[in-house]
Amino acid sequence: MERFVQLHLLTAYPPANLNRDDLGRPKTALMGGAERLRISSQSLKRAWRTSDLFQEKLKGHLGTRTKRMGEEIFHRLVQGGIAEKQAREWTRQIATVFGKLKKSKDDGSIEALHIEQLAHFSPEEQTAIDTLVQRLIETKQGPSAEDLNLLRERHSAADIALFGRMLADVPRFNTEAACQVAHAITVHKVAVEDDFYTAVDDLNRGEEDVGAGHMGETEFGAGLFYLYLCLDRELLLKNLGGDAKLAERTVEALVASAATVAPTGKQNSFASRARASYILCERGDTQPRSLSVAFLKPVEAGSKGLLANAVEALEDERRRLDSAYGDGDSDAVAMNTLTGQGSLADILAYAKGGLADG
Amino acid sequence: MAELLLFQLYGPLASWGEPAVGEYRPSATHPGKSQIAGLLGAALGLTRDREEELAALAGGYGLAVRIDAEGELLRDYHTTQVPPARRGRTFTTRAEELAVDDLYTILSQRDYRVEAAWTCVLWATASAPYPLADLAEALRRPRFTLYLGRKSCPPALPLRPELIDSATLKDAFAGYPLDDRLGWLKRPERHRYFWEEPLPDGLASGFTAQEKLWVVPRRDRPGSRRRWQFATRDEHHAMA
Repeated sequence: MERFVQLHLLTAYPPANLNRDDLGRPKTALMGGAERLRISSQSLKRAWRTSDLFQEKLKGHLGTRTKRMGEEIFHRLVQGGIAEKQAREWTRQIATVFGKLKKSKDDGSIEALHIEQLAHFSPEEQTAIDTLVQRLIETKQGPSAEDLNLLRERHSAADIALFGRMLADVPRFNTEAACQVAHAITVHKVAVEDDFYTAVDDLNRGEEDVGAGHMGETEFGAGLFYLYLCLDRELLLKNLGGDAKLAERTVEALVASAATVAPTGKQNSFASRARASYILCERGDTQPRSLSVAFLKPVEAGSKGLLANAVEALEDERRRLDSAYGDGDSDAVAMNTLTGQGSLADILAYAKGGLADG
Repeated sequence: MAELLLFQLYGPLASWGEPAVGEYRPSATHPGKSQIAGLLGAALGLTRDREEELAALAGGYGLAVRIDAEGELLRDYHTTQVPPARRGRTFTTRAEELAVDDLYTILSQRDYRVEAAWTCVLWATASAPYPLADLAEALRRPRFTLYLGRKSCPPALPLRPELIDSATLKDAFAGYPLDDRLGWLKRPERHRYFWEEPLPDGLASGFTAQEKLWVVPRRDRPGSRRRWQFATRDEHHAMA
């Protein structure tokens, strides 16, 4: 299996303010001596991870969400012959690992075994809970501090497998992100524009004052963005405990959301949702590199238009880079909405190709 | 003469963080020891928990850096929604964190360098765990993804590792020109160089007394990753 999958996407956003700085201005960056619009990788990843598409594709692997795990544990302990009072106490000890208990004192109600918020239980955690409950029944001993720690060590949460997790105070829960996402940058020079707007007061009949009820200003920009992602498929597989089927679904969720999900910033004001017009997907083992150098010289619209010129610049640069360094991955597939070449389905199939072979 | 490994670093964004955590995360003008050791570790497939091997990487090689293009500072404003810390509650997924009702926002500022490029030189010391040729091969076919200081900063050119023999650092750098694609970058008339001493047998810095500037301690030698500790290292500067 080739280790790396590299994705190069070109997505055109109409006027938008998707990712803002502390002044509410769209984020920018300098590249090739020209100002570009920028969307931070953090903003992109959040939009993908919280999208319906991502949730839908990975259903069941983002864990079970419930407040009622305690109730289940309690019933099973009682069925296993543990006295009710003991069972309640142990249940509350286990449930508190996953969230704040609904009631600080045990008043004997079912709610006192519930936690306040919905918690995610991964398949591994479910198994760990089952094992622990079984052991409590057999030994008739309450859970030790160590028993309670074990519950959360292993998980198959696809979002963590992709985007990682660093917990300074509990390093054993750390997971190295399998997916690297660069900041998206426009392929062309951009001037951030001001939109001066007024709002009329509906109840002002214009008898005394015909002025606006409110004036404001909002900054925006439009552009064709280059986005680069690199996925380490071996690491993904490892993070998911070797589950190739789940890894395939995770790759699909990642690629499909990168292609179709826009950051949510100011969408109500701009409705700037967009899909990738062009995707190039490379698979291989040589050192991954973004193709942003193709856009060091800002792309111009010319007679062929911005998108066609950007695609040409990208594909040319890839060929030139590979021949200069002599180590490129010759294999790749592309989707281009301008020419009708390829489809997202082709990209998905290619990106996950070979994963199941290990 | 000494054997040297040269490679280039360029990406649209890079961030050579100082050992700071918290609200403001500054970036140095050039990569330090811990970042280059981390890059080599990633190339070799050493996970972060293998502290001893990572320390051997940092201690086993000498480092010199040339700033090919200084670039500009980009200050990124960053907000993150986080749940309040609670005893006995560990969130395992981000979705789980965001499901909490009383989220609050933490602000931070992260510095990046844009329009910048660097060339690095490594030499092996007596305790080097791998021959330089193995490092070069690892950079060509890395085990993990590489990045320029932050994971969101992928390299935008192959690292082009090259092994050469040279009598001086200055000559080694001179024999490794900037990639043509980066002709757009604004380059200084005189480059800034940084290196640590002692240099290996057979290698002199090659800089004249007029070119040599000063020696500055930099806290970038990885100690304990878990405890986020760094030791100081003397960096020799020159402008030529």
